[in-house]
Amino acid sequence: MRVVVSHRAFLVVLFAALAVLPVVANQYTLFVGNLMMLYIILALGLNLLVGFAGQLAFANAAMYGIGAYGAALLQVRLGLSYWIAAPCGALLAMAIGTLLAFPALRLSGIYLALATLAFAQFTQWVLLHWNTVTFGAGGFPVPQPDFSALGMSPDRGIYYVTWVVTVVLLAFAWRVVRSRVGRAFVAMRDREMAAQALGVDLLRYKAVAFALSGFYAGTAGALYPAVLAYVSPEGFDLFQMILHKAMIVVGGMGSIVGSVIGASLLVYLLELLRQFKATQEIVFGALLLAFVLFQPRGLVYFVKRYVPGWAEPLHYASDSGSSSDVTVADEVVTGSGGGAPR
Amino acid sequence: MNSLTVTNVSVAFGGVDALSDVSVVVDAGQIVGIIGPNGAGKTTLLNVICGVNRPDRGDVALHGTVITGWKPSRIAGLGLGRTFQTSQLFLGMTVLENLMTGLHLRGRTGLVAAALRTPSMKREEAETRERALAALDFVGMRAFADRSGTALSFGQQRVVEIARTLIGDPKVVLLDEPAVGLSVPRVAELDTLLRRIRDERGVTLVMIEHVIRLVMGVSDRVIVMNSGHKIAEGRPDDIRRNPDVVEAYLGRQGDARRPAP
Repeated sequence: MRVVVSHRAFLVVLFAALAVLPVVANQYTLFVGNLMMLYIILALGLNLLVGFAGQLAFANAAMYGIGAYGAALLQVRLGLSYWIAAPCGALLAMAIGTLLAFPALRLSGIYLALATLAFAQFTQWVLLHWNTVTFGAGGFPVPQPDFSALGMSPDRGIYYVTWVVTVVLLAFAWRVVRSRVGRAFVAMRDREMAAQALGVDLLRYKAVAFALSGFYAGTAGALYPAVLAYVSPEGFDLFQMILHKAMIVVGGMGSIVGSVIGASLLVYLLELLRQFKATQEIVFGALLLAFVLFQPRGLVYFVKRYVPGWAEPLHYASDSGSSSDVTVADEVVTGSGGGAPR
Repeated sequence: MNSLTVTNVSVAFGGVDALSDVSVVVDAGQIVGIIGPNGAGKTTLLNVICGVNRPDRGDVALHGTVITGWKPSRIAGLGLGRTFQTSQLFLGMTVLENLMTGLHLRGRTGLVAAALRTPSMKREEAETRERALAALDFVGMRAFADRSGTALSFGQQRVVEIARTLIGDPKVVLLDEPAVGLSVPRVAELDTLLRRIRDERGVTLVMIEHVIRLVMGVSDRVIVMNSGHKIAEGRPDDIRRNPDVVEAYLGRQGDARRPAP
């Protein structure tokens, strides 16, 4: 029997399950569910930038950290309410993310990767060493927002906030990639020259892609202190960057549902390996490498191929395609060229 | 009426003169062919016109507006289209989506409208789709609308690219070797398509081409370039008989290496 599962049905079931999780789950499972949603947001934002707009940036973990530190420090240092500090943290990450579009106008590929990686390491350095503001390497505790008015514990309350934010950002990403803006992203990724010749303003759309991705990572970051009640630099280091990248590569670059699949799966794996902390980095590095080498289109490619009803339009980059996609010679195809195809 | 004027343009790349003092005037509604040996500066000339390269000296004007130094996307907005020597299809999209991207400048949808799926956004999306399908009809490729770009033959990719450029209703289109890699029957189809673009849609075409039979057949005027200079210009028949052109292609008559028959 073949299972018919539409990509929409998959998302509805997943998020329905996440919605009822607090009713049935213990404290730990609730935390894992919350973490899963944070990573779904991170993967969506990174996929918009790397998978769709084709900008090989490595600053996602830094944007995540800027959102988290922004939201946490505004509370702890300035005494602002979480509900004001959190949006400010997300917007700060978006603003800084947007500035990265300027180097991206001149740099591409590995050079952009190096420049953004340097920026991420610089951010990490600031978090570690600017003790008077960031509390340094040890991090600091952050009070969780209060949900007693709704009769909910802080953990449960913030879980539902995360759920709503994740669903909204998922729907937003879904609609953006299927619009004029999404087409401009893919055009810019596939053929920069031709995109320009059709009137796509590269600076503008790179800025939009970096801003969106910064906003997604910053939003996940702003939720982080409320979920964990603690912030420290190691939560936003290079391993995090590899983790985010692994999520979109395993799930599927240029796929919204792929971001969700990759993030969910890898958070689950991360928790399985929690007792073996030393193996986490090796396993994720190996997973990333294996997919880049053998299945650059990610799991969603298999799913679309073998699950009838799965109809998400995929926009993978052509150079990550298999060799069977070599352009066919003119004479092999009948009714080709300018002629009417019957 | 002048549609495109290039005035005394010079470009040098690291001391090598790619273009030296080149001037070109293109009348509206014509097909102008540019020929010349490799390295003559033909592609550089197109790149200067569409804004990819900035000229060291000289000016480019489109419909009387000086566009020298403008960004390519801004020049495109003024009605200049361009196709490339190598395939520049967006391979991560379907043929239809490629065509819809050709209407980028006609659209207004931004992030907010896309997120809210406003009625005007939905209308724009539907219109874009309709126009894209109509453009595929024009080139006889409607049956391929939902195929991926990777599933097309070389000649089909070329035709889709031309359609993608035409869909935004440019007034002038620059074509860089549209016939490269095409078989003889496909070149004949291209010949017909180019004439239809000029006659039915009133588009001015400027085309670099090495397939002499095509250039001489469809062009109203031919420009010959060599080593960064324009060495001749005129009707195809005159160009064929021009001694400078014959020399650029075949070497001087009486040259020891090419004994006269």
